[in-house]
Amino acid sequence: MADVTPQKMVRTNGPADPIPGAGAGAFEAARERSVDVRAVRVTVAPTTRIEGDPAITVEPPPDAASVLPGDPLPAGDDPIVDGTAVHARLERFGPQRARLSLGDALGVTRAPIVLGELRVDRARGTTVREVVVHGWRIDVEIESERRALLRERARRGAGAQSHGGPLEVHAIIPGRVVAISVKPGDTIDAGGQLLVVEAMKMQNELRAPREGTIERVGVAVGQTIEVGDLLVVIT
Amino acid sequence: MSGPSDQPFRRVLVANRGEIAVRIIRACHEMGMEAVAVYSDVDRTAAHVRAADSAVRLGPPPPAESYLRIDAIIEAAVSSGAEAVHPGYGFLSEREAFARAVEEAGLAWVGPPPAAIAALGDKLAARRAAKAAGVPCVPGTLEPAPVDRPDELDSILLAAREVGFPLLVKAAAGGGGRGMRRVVSPDELAGALLAGSREAASAFGDGSVYVEREIIPARHVEVQLLGDAEGTVVALGERDCSTQRRHQKLIEEAPAPGLTESDRRRLHAMAERLGAAAGLRNAATCEFLYDGDGPFWFLEVNTRLQVEHPVTELVAGVDIVQEQFRIAAGRPLSARVRAAAERAARPTSHAIELRISAEDPARVFAPSPGLITRWRMPSGPGIRVDTAVEAGDRVPAEYDPLIAKLIVHAEDREGALARLRRALDETEVGGIQTTLPFHRAMLEEPGFIDASGLSTTWVDGHWDGPAARAPWVRVALLAAGLVALEDGTTAAGPGAGEVPGRSRATGSAWRDAGRVAAIDRWPT
Repeated sequence: MADVTPQKMVRTNGPADPIPGAGAGAFEAARERSVDVRAVRVTVAPTTRIEGDPAITVEPPPDAASVLPGDPLPAGDDPIVDGTAVHARLERFGPQRARLSLGDALGVTRAPIVLGELRVDRARGTTVREVVVHGWRIDVEIESERRALLRERARRGAGAQSHGGPLEVHAIIPGRVVAISVKPGDTIDAGGQLLVVEAMKMQNELRAPREGTIERVGVAVGQTIEVGDLLVVIT
Repeated sequence: MSGPSDQPFRRVLVANRGEIAVRIIRACHEMGMEAVAVYSDVDRTAAHVRAADSAVRLGPPPPAESYLRIDAIIEAAVSSGAEAVHPGYGFLSEREAFARAVEEAGLAWVGPPPAAIAALGDKLAARRAAKAAGVPCVPGTLEPAPVDRPDELDSILLAAREVGFPLLVKAAAGGGGRGMRRVVSPDELAGALLAGSREAASAFGDGSVYVEREIIPARHVEVQLLGDAEGTVVALGERDCSTQRRHQKLIEEAPAPGLTESDRRRLHAMAERLGAAAGLRNAATCEFLYDGDGPFWFLEVNTRLQVEHPVTELVAGVDIVQEQFRIAAGRPLSARVRAAAERAARPTSHAIELRISAEDPARVFAPSPGLITRWRMPSGPGIRVDTAVEAGDRVPAEYDPLIAKLIVHAEDREGALARLRRALDETEVGGIQTTLPFHRAMLEEPGFIDASGLSTTWVDGHWDGPAARAPWVRVALLAAGLVALEDGTTAAGPGAGEVPGRSRATGSAWRDAGRVAAIDRWPT
């Protein structure tokens, strides 16, 4: 992937980073002030698998009636994104379409943003929906910012999660197992071939994400697998 | 054009699925013929089954138990009273044994004769035929590699060194990159031959592989041929299909940009010469590699209808599938086809096709089958969409990920590009990730817009899916956040922020929510 020029690949009517939101530092500062009770945390859902789980916090424009003495942000019409007022406007076209305008631009995309059905995940305490923008299909999780902060505090209290335990390799595409290159007890290097999955007539070699010993192989040759199925456990 | 006098057959069996089966059934109906579909269990209610006049079950979803079963398909054709079989592309379309079985059952085969399939469909045999016809071939071997004979590894290594590294291991029976492996150094060769052979055996039932020089950078240029029983073979024009990934075409267009009239005449004549020498009839495509100013290197012949045939149909003004039926019924090439062939070196319009596939361009185009929850295709001037899916359909993991072809036609290439951008703004697909964001990005890519960057390796060298996606992830998060604020929907579900009996007096959901919050924050 040499000579990668991603900026060139981005459609010109959407800037490289279309949201002039604040960086992480400003966001930390924003947490210090009292967060609006209506604020929502929007995170890329695990089903879309984007490294680093990108997330933003969105608050409504501070209303004159709700600005308290000492609040750093004045009342206005712009929503607050990661602690900074952003000139963003949302135009709705029924329950499934919307158009987003940023700054003076007429729309981030001429094509509408497509909103999938809202599903409530009671176990996680979030709502999940699909958003399709510029052809990209992204599942997002929406929860109250206060709840998200509580959850993070609880996690910090529980201490850092341990690493180096068994690594479960799950199927990332559905298909059929056509070859298995390892058996329990084998040692494997990072990048070593574990098995071959055929999906849509293409053979996909699945490789070990790290070195280790094969503890278990959960599938057999010829077996049909679905996304998320446990394939191999590496210790 | 149509009507009983033009009806080549009374009833036709379409031995395929998906968009191509629907496209062939459309041609049948336009010519006054009845169409019989075949289906696997997962396709029982699929669009091609609904479009056909009747349908016959073949078996369970795996291709080997359904769409690849020669016996079951012949039985379906005979028992349903079909007079001809159209194989579409993929599956059994280039299987000599299938074509022979169709003819032996007393039915008409809508495609090149079995002998031509054997001579041209096997890539190794085609390379030998091209050499004999004086058409320059990509350097490589002409016989199958001894994959299962470790003692003969030395001989293939020697041949490979002569071809030069990096080279490609290719399946003799291959197509669409299946069975293909790129080999950078000699020590990788044995493994690549074995892996390629295994994939080829699984996909085609034939594990023969050979090696060929990798010519890069190069454009993929191919010529559409039609031939009749009298031995006349004509070229309907060429296509450029350079935008590929892992030898899977993503964008195709006609004519190939930047060729002169004399380039075209030379290219078309080579293809016609090879087709005539091999006894070609019906429709086939002759593929070449072209590095800009050197020769056109012969690559292979596909003895079937191509996925990208519509771009040629639009520019040439010929319905290729209808012509296939006329030719299969023994008629000579029509005056319309001959006139189109004479004009082919001087094209007067431009067509581009985008392959909309269930693949994720941010995850190296990995298959992304699943349930389509939303499906809106573009319309209006110059738009053609060939598809077989709609909202509520599940894209099965068993078959090719191609779910739709978006084809535009305009006076010139610039007009076609503008039309494509407009069409993509009207296109909405939800539930599965598709190749649409890749297509959107390509339509803004300077090297594609002016055609200077057309190359079969461009996508692998330049496309960074996650980077292209990143800014749009932020847009999606912000849009979802603003919608949630407006609707008052968070973890507790819709309506959680509402106060019973409250009226929306301010006309602004944000302000209403603000009031509620203010009430919540003041001690009462």
